[in-house]
Amino acid sequence: MFKFIIAGNPNVGKSTLFNSITKSSEHTGNYHGVTVEEKSKIVKFNNESYQFVDLPGIYSLNCNSFEEEVSKTQLLKSNNIIMLLDANSLRKNLYLCLQLSEMNINYKILINNYDYFKKNKNEIDVNLLNKNLKNEVEIVNAKKIKLQEFLKIIKNDSVFSSNYNKKTEIFKKNEQNLNNLENNFNFDYLKKYINLVKNKFNLTDYEIIHALNGDILPNLQKKQEIFDYIQQILPDLIADRYKFIDNLLEKAIKIKSGFCYGYSKFDKILLNPIFMLIFFVFTFFASIYIIFFNIGPLFSDFLINIFNFLIATPFLNFLYSTIDNIWVIQFFEGGVFSSVTTVLSFLPQVTLLFIFLGVLEDSGLIGRLAFVLDDFLSAFGLNGKAIYIMLLGFGCNTVSTMATRSMNTKELKIKSAIINPYFSCMARLPIFVIIASAFFSKYAYFVVAGLYVLGIVVALVMSLILNKTMLPTKRNDFLLEFAPLRGVEFKRVLKLGAQNGLDMLKRIFGVVLTVGIIVWILSHTKFNLQFTEAITDSILFFFADKISFLFAPIGLNNAGIVSALIVGLMAKELIVSTISITNSVNTNSALISSLTLSSSVVHFTPASALSFLVFILLYCPCMSNMAVLKKEVGGFYFAFATLSQLTIAYLMSFVVYLACTKGAMLSILAAVIIAAIVASIIYISKKIKHPKCLSCNKCK
Amino acid sequence: MNLNQVKLNTNCIVKDVLIPEQKTKIRLMELGLIKGVNVIVKNRSMLKKTLLIIFNSSCFSLNADIAKYIEVNYV
Repeated sequence: MFKFIIAGNPNVGKSTLFNSITKSSEHTGNYHGVTVEEKSKIVKFNNESYQFVDLPGIYSLNCNSFEEEVSKTQLLKSNNIIMLLDANSLRKNLYLCLQLSEMNINYKILINNYDYFKKNKNEIDVNLLNKNLKNEVEIVNAKKIKLQEFLKIIKNDSVFSSNYNKKTEIFKKNEQNLNNLENNFNFDYLKKYINLVKNKFNLTDYEIIHALNGDILPNLQKKQEIFDYIQQILPDLIADRYKFIDNLLEKAIKIKSGFCYGYSKFDKILLNPIFMLIFFVFTFFASIYIIFFNIGPLFSDFLINIFNFLIATPFLNFLYSTIDNIWVIQFFEGGVFSSVTTVLSFLPQVTLLFIFLGVLEDSGLIGRLAFVLDDFLSAFGLNGKAIYIMLLGFGCNTVSTMATRSMNTKELKIKSAIINPYFSCMARLPIFVIIASAFFSKYAYFVVAGLYVLGIVVALVMSLILNKTMLPTKRNDFLLEFAPLRGVEFKRVLKLGAQNGLDMLKRIFGVVLTVGIIVWILSHTKFNLQFTEAITDSILFFFADKISFLFAPIGLNNAGIVSALIVGLMAKELIVSTISITNSVNTNSALISSLTLSSSVVHFTPASALSFLVFILLYCPCMSNMAVLKKEVGGFYFAFATLSQLTIAYLMSFVVYLACTKGAMLSILAAVIIAAIVASIIYISKKIKHPKCLSCNKCK
Repeated sequence: MNLNQVKLNTNCIVKDVLIPEQKTKIRLMELGLIKGVNVIVKNRSMLKKTLLIIFNSSCFSLNADIAKYIEVNYV
């Protein structure tokens, strides 16, 4: 099997190329840092297997973020590297190529986005570039290239044809060849720096070249001294590398009109902070209104009617006509179809909202928003990049937790991962819409919008607290390359929506259905394993009832609600299906009506409904998020994040419930007491972390 | 020369990249911001602490914590 690595600077089109040649639908977007982990796919062509690996974007082998480390590790150990360059930023893109060449790592250069470059009346003399780079450069269109065409380019390349069947023993090969530094280029400038390091340390050429490229080999003595010295000479080396690149590009690139890739005339308007904020907030909340309260329900009704007409009704009719056992019939009616239909009805809305987020990603607006909000977010110990995390979090918290890798310091990464679950994900929306519609009819939309705002406020306050205590960020290292504004590619955006819709469908017929069946069995089975129609006699209610007193202060001391909250820890979609099963209803409208009736097993008052919504917004999003969070931030911060989510959810619900039942004054008093307790904890934790000392600046 | 002296849409030449944290300085240089490069400050963000600058045909936004250490000469 042949393995190819696709690498290059961020936002040059690596994932687009990967998708085109492997016919995949990996997430792409018009901003930097979309891919945060390597993605791989094996495809077959003419009885041969080809593995393609898409790496996260990397500017330099001197890594500055966690996703760059992932790419660097692969680049250093791999053969058959495809370096994808953007025609509009060749100078900057070639810097990484030069570093690889210095380390004698072979690669094939493909140039993407040439159309945009040509549009500005600029040209690349490919023959001259080939001659200067000593590489067979090819111009490709990453969006349109097919596997066959791609393989033809690769197989004709002399570098690849010689390396084609070799295993990845690149280090060994390098060590042998590095004394002869003329494999790809003649690096006169490099010899100067090798000699400088040699005068200070007893190292081989191989070790020095690795060290100059941010890779100090583990077996070396005096690692810190070598690192410090390299950092001192690196600025001059970088300047020499750019001189080298400029010589390579001289004459090969003909710039007829000066241009700036990334900045356009529309940015004069878009980068006005007030305009951008109003535009974004209005667009986001308007889209939620239109999708969930306007056109979305029409699609939902249509989908559920189709589902009932084609599957549910014929199947149940068949059961009624052939089986006598009421247990079996109720199992399918109340367990299987109940858990599926109520969640399935939100499939069109969720798909539409993902399409909307895809439009935002594709347009290049997210980078503009990051720029506009950087100052504001830095006041909370974050930076502009946190806006990516927030927008991805509105889709799925698990994906956005992984995206925290794009943060360039450990503190920022952990802080972003801890606050990320407070951004309300798509799985919570169905329950928000149902409860809000049941109790706040014409104000339902404002309740849902308010919940989004509350989630953002809690996340920012949490970040501020973390910044003042456990995870202080000394300064804001925000540095972001602007992606160009471009027309939305509707085919890609629709594909993204369809992909996410399909993922939701898989979850509905996977985890939602499985857990739904388990919940139904537990809620219809007594301890003696006999079937019961009285849910209050069931095993599930026995245990839920035992702990429901804990939820009395927040108005949720109902065994049905408690079981829904417990099941919701696995996935938020399960809350709707669990309540539907418990109340034995099959449709959204029946569910909405049942929630207001005191005769239903699960029912609310307006106060407890609001408290329930706040609790769902703020407590742990789902199991997969918790697993990813633990992997990304480690055990201590994971435990802290989980406990804080549960505590904050409980306290906030308590304040809301108190405000609704006992009046505003009492709730303000409770909020003040809670704030005082939180402030005391912050003060104590600061003292514990920073006992009086003379050297620590924080104590002064 | 500090940030306050950097005016909007001013074409500047980087005299030196002086940043206390070597790692950030090296990253800026690796992106092509080296001595003598033309810098155009295009815009500022909400509280004017984040700059949008253009150098070598590329557009970057960076925070004043970084930008204030870029010493510039006005053309």
